[in-house]
Amino acid sequence: MEWAWLIPVFGFAAFGVIALGGNALPWRGRYLSILAIGAGFALFWFVLLDFIERGGGFHRFGVDWFETGGVTVAWGIIIDPLTVTMLALVTFVALAVQVYSLGYMAGDKRIGWYYAVHSLFAAAMLTLVLADNLLLLYFAWELVGLCSYLLIGFWHERRSAAEAAKKAFVTTRIGDVGLLIGIILLVVHTGTFDITEILARATNPAPGEELSNALITGTALLLFLGAMGKSAQFPLHVWLPDAMEGPSPVSALIHAATMVAAGVFLVARMLPLFEASGAALEVVAVVGLVTGLVGATLALTSTDLKRILAYSTMSHLGFMMLALGAGGFTAAIFHLVAHGLAKAMLFLGAGSVMHALDNETDIRKMGGLRRVMPMTALTFTIGAAALAGIPPLSAFWSKDEMLLAVHGGLHPIYLVLFLAAIGLSALYMARAVRLAFYGPLNDAARRAHESPRVMTLPMLLLASLTLVVGFLALPLGAGYEGIGTFLLQAGEKPHPFTLNAWLTAASVVLAVGAFAGGWRLYDKRADVVASARARFAALHRALERGYYLDAGYQWVIDKVVMRAGSAVALFDRRVVNDGGVNGPGEGTVFAGRQLRRHVTGLFADYGAAMALGVLGIGIFLWARSA
Amino acid sequence: MDWADRHALEALIYLPMLTAAALILTPPGARRTIHTVGVGAGLLLLIGSVYVFWVFDHGAGAPTFQLVRVYPWLEQLGIDFRLGVDGVGALMVLLTGIVSFTAAIIATTAEREPKPYYTLLYLLIAGVYGTFVSIDLFFLFFFYELAVVPMYLLIAVWGSSSKFADFARTKEYGAMKLVLMLVAGSVLVWIAIIAIYVEAGIGSFDILALQAASHDGAFSAGFQRVVFPLAMIGFGVLAGLWPFHTWSPDGHVAAPTSVSMLHAGVLMKLGAFGIIRVGMTLLPSGMEDWALILFVLATANVIYGAVSAMAQTDLKYVVGYSSVSHMGYVLMGIATMDALGLTGATLQMFSHGVMTALFFAVVGVIYDRAHTRDTLALNGLASRMGVTTALFVIAGLTSLGLPGLSGFVSELLVFIGAFRTQPILGALGVVGAAITAVYVLRLIARVFFGPRSRDWNALPDISAKEGFAAAVLVVPIVLVGVYPQPFLRVIDSAVEPLLQPFGGA
Repeated sequence: MEWAWLIPVFGFAAFGVIALGGNALPWRGRYLSILAIGAGFALFWFVLLDFIERGGGFHRFGVDWFETGGVTVAWGIIIDPLTVTMLALVTFVALAVQVYSLGYMAGDKRIGWYYAVHSLFAAAMLTLVLADNLLLLYFAWELVGLCSYLLIGFWHERRSAAEAAKKAFVTTRIGDVGLLIGIILLVVHTGTFDITEILARATNPAPGEELSNALITGTALLLFLGAMGKSAQFPLHVWLPDAMEGPSPVSALIHAATMVAAGVFLVARMLPLFEASGAALEVVAVVGLVTGLVGATLALTSTDLKRILAYSTMSHLGFMMLALGAGGFTAAIFHLVAHGLAKAMLFLGAGSVMHALDNETDIRKMGGLRRVMPMTALTFTIGAAALAGIPPLSAFWSKDEMLLAVHGGLHPIYLVLFLAAIGLSALYMARAVRLAFYGPLNDAARRAHESPRVMTLPMLLLASLTLVVGFLALPLGAGYEGIGTFLLQAGEKPHPFTLNAWLTAASVVLAVGAFAGGWRLYDKRADVVASARARFAALHRALERGYYLDAGYQWVIDKVVMRAGSAVALFDRRVVNDGGVNGPGEGTVFAGRQLRRHVTGLFADYGAAMALGVLGIGIFLWARSA
Repeated sequence: MDWADRHALEALIYLPMLTAAALILTPPGARRTIHTVGVGAGLLLLIGSVYVFWVFDHGAGAPTFQLVRVYPWLEQLGIDFRLGVDGVGALMVLLTGIVSFTAAIIATTAEREPKPYYTLLYLLIAGVYGTFVSIDLFFLFFFYELAVVPMYLLIAVWGSSSKFADFARTKEYGAMKLVLMLVAGSVLVWIAIIAIYVEAGIGSFDILALQAASHDGAFSAGFQRVVFPLAMIGFGVLAGLWPFHTWSPDGHVAAPTSVSMLHAGVLMKLGAFGIIRVGMTLLPSGMEDWALILFVLATANVIYGAVSAMAQTDLKYVVGYSSVSHMGYVLMGIATMDALGLTGATLQMFSHGVMTALFFAVVGVIYDRAHTRDTLALNGLASRMGVTTALFVIAGLTSLGLPGLSGFVSELLVFIGAFRTQPILGALGVVGAAITAVYVLRLIARVFFGPRSRDWNALPDISAKEGFAAAVLVVPIVLVGVYPQPFLRVIDSAVEPLLQPFGGA
């Protein structure tokens, strides 16, 4: 367990070697990268076994990084159930994605660079989940952002990819302003970057060291702003749908194990701080719920396979935040894992389809793909059904845990809306699967073919995990009483598996009903869909445009931000420079010209001036004496 | 190495002067010899600078000023040629070595008439070193002036004029404005120095003696309140203090590449250094009175510079305004009068110096090949100039404060210091970093990414020589970003005594 810090080091090393060695390396370094993440995955098992042997708990290891002005920063790691769970998810998904990329990216001329950044991406995310202090966490946080920037913009010759990459970085960066200010405020008021100490100060302070309520709420909200950017929470989600400009395996990584998971992880890690301030927790819940609903509605109308998946990710991230807002730490992280596995597989499936169809992503041009790509269709269907919440697949169980948490922690209105969103997710998933893979084979798709085994194998692996991982919720014996007895915060009481029959029944009925209904609707009753679309044309248009958020932001950037920039630049040139700098210079020259006039050299002029002067003095003296 | 320690600092001043003298004697046609001498002297300076930084003792109990050397000069007036460095000075010496060496390499690629060019360049470098290592006010000012004057010729003769859609800037205009504004600042500084000399009444220009006098109450609060702003604004002009910054972007646009590197890399640091060495050290209560105003102006630097940079369409204007913005963090850190803030300010001086030198080097490479710096005309360069793109992206990421690169560490320290003193202004500073991200990433997306137009199909990538110079600049950026401890230790040893008059830290 002491060696867990090595897990990301493999990746950093691989990045360094591949980035500098480049194409000179054998196989352009791609197997080196896979070896590094594979080693990380193997090491994770040692850590896990060691962790179980020591009976779980909370462990820390570290060395000092630097020290200045009385503030010490350590390069340290935390090993607790949260970290171990995240290590599992990140190493496994990254490994699967990298193996899949061998097939998907074969022949790309910059494949070395692709694998280098993949290594760095995984390494950064692993550092993030291991970090024991906020500075190291922020360090990794920004590296994760950088890697997604580089990978989304991997095909940078395409204008759209370059723009999407920039948008992702800038949007998340806006959230990061909050995160950084939050971290600095915490450091200024507690004198330490250490997460454990900060949480102790917030929840259980020594007498005289209490933090004010305003500070706790304020910093929690600022940290949450960062999480909103990374985890694509409304209204900072706009980068996520565009992020599919990157290669599909990259989307799989971003949507499952790295980028978007970071925000949820951050809130989970700092949850005691949020809980110390009820208001902050409430905000998390509301934002999560809104995000869940907005994402689900947007997914319902999109016709782009990858966009549907992206909006679905957004919606599920909202669910996780909602669960966290309800205090459901276990449920949220459990769903993060269940969703991550399923979503990674769905994106790999979408990539497989694009691979076969010359990068086509429009589901209206697909249809009946299961006849030509049976393996992709099978795995995709499993993933979609899992996220729709069909029992006994993974997300059904995690959703159940989240429902329990929301039921126990929040006002019933949250529960009702959450259930509605669950119904919507089943509906849009049914639609996507039905339109893309079933029904009659589309003519455009006739030439399609199944992807090579190096791609289908990772998909199959992920699919089988999706089938079984949900059972972790159940008491499996040998002292294991369900996920609630393992995945805990420090100091939280274990909560064995429980079943609320009403809630479970409601969610099953909703999920299965919506999925089946949706299937039937898009299979047989296209007329109903068309008429609904016609009746709610304005709503439909708003949904297609993402509630006009993109257009709104663009307007603000063009009309406000850029205009302000131009105005300031013009002010600088005209007022500060021409007025303030050239002005005195020109003034001096002008004054010189004016003053020169009286030097005429004519005796009469001087005589007249003298006479006027004498007269003036005379008048002055006369006036004074009078 | 006793002998080396005794003479290290003066060698850093004499060497560039001797190089300039030697170049005067070289026949003008001997380009190769001139280049060899130019680059060789740069390498020696780098070695000497690293040596000074290396031997600087930051341990507890070590004297604040080290490698001290005194040569009596005008004893009647109390002027001595008095040299020594504290932690701040040592780091600035290191920065000067790095930037001088790389600028000397870059200068071999383009400049016509290399003989007078290198001669002036080395006079300028001698002035810069002299300012950083002088602990006598008279010589500090002498070298400060020496660094400014060669700029005029370097820009007016070797610079370039530019035309834009709605205005034009000739190189003569840029050179003249730069020198006039800096000289105006110098006048204020000179008044402040004479006032300090007279008021102290000890008949000495020795900074340490004056500091002791200041400590004993030689300067009344009223005196300091009046004299401090002279030093603050006078030196502030060179540091790019808002609203006295306009010489800087225009100067950059007119200046040749290697001059831009030195100008933004080290010259602007002289101003911030002067505020610390003269203002903060000798006039502590004046500093306290004016700190809030300096803080506000520095925040204006950060935001105003970043917003202006957003609207620029010339690569050099973008980098020039970004320098204005980043120097704001230096001034902000000084204004905090907080241990972390001041440490951050000093580290930011170093970090920004190296980063901006890299920026200008890369912009120069692009300009040499494409003959334009117009961001609206350039596009898709990444697919032709991969290494150049990577270097620009590294500089860009440093400037937007990406962790793992030097800018993050220094800005973070400044922010923490700022939040301890003026949280609102500190928050604006963080917002400035986000604006930086916007303009840097927009620029990268526009210039380097996207489809490439046909004009740029034949651009060659960076040459080995230029690439080497750039690599020399990347090393400290990454080093400070990943392991800042050796740098912070040296700075800390200076910060503590600097903050003594303000009740410790």
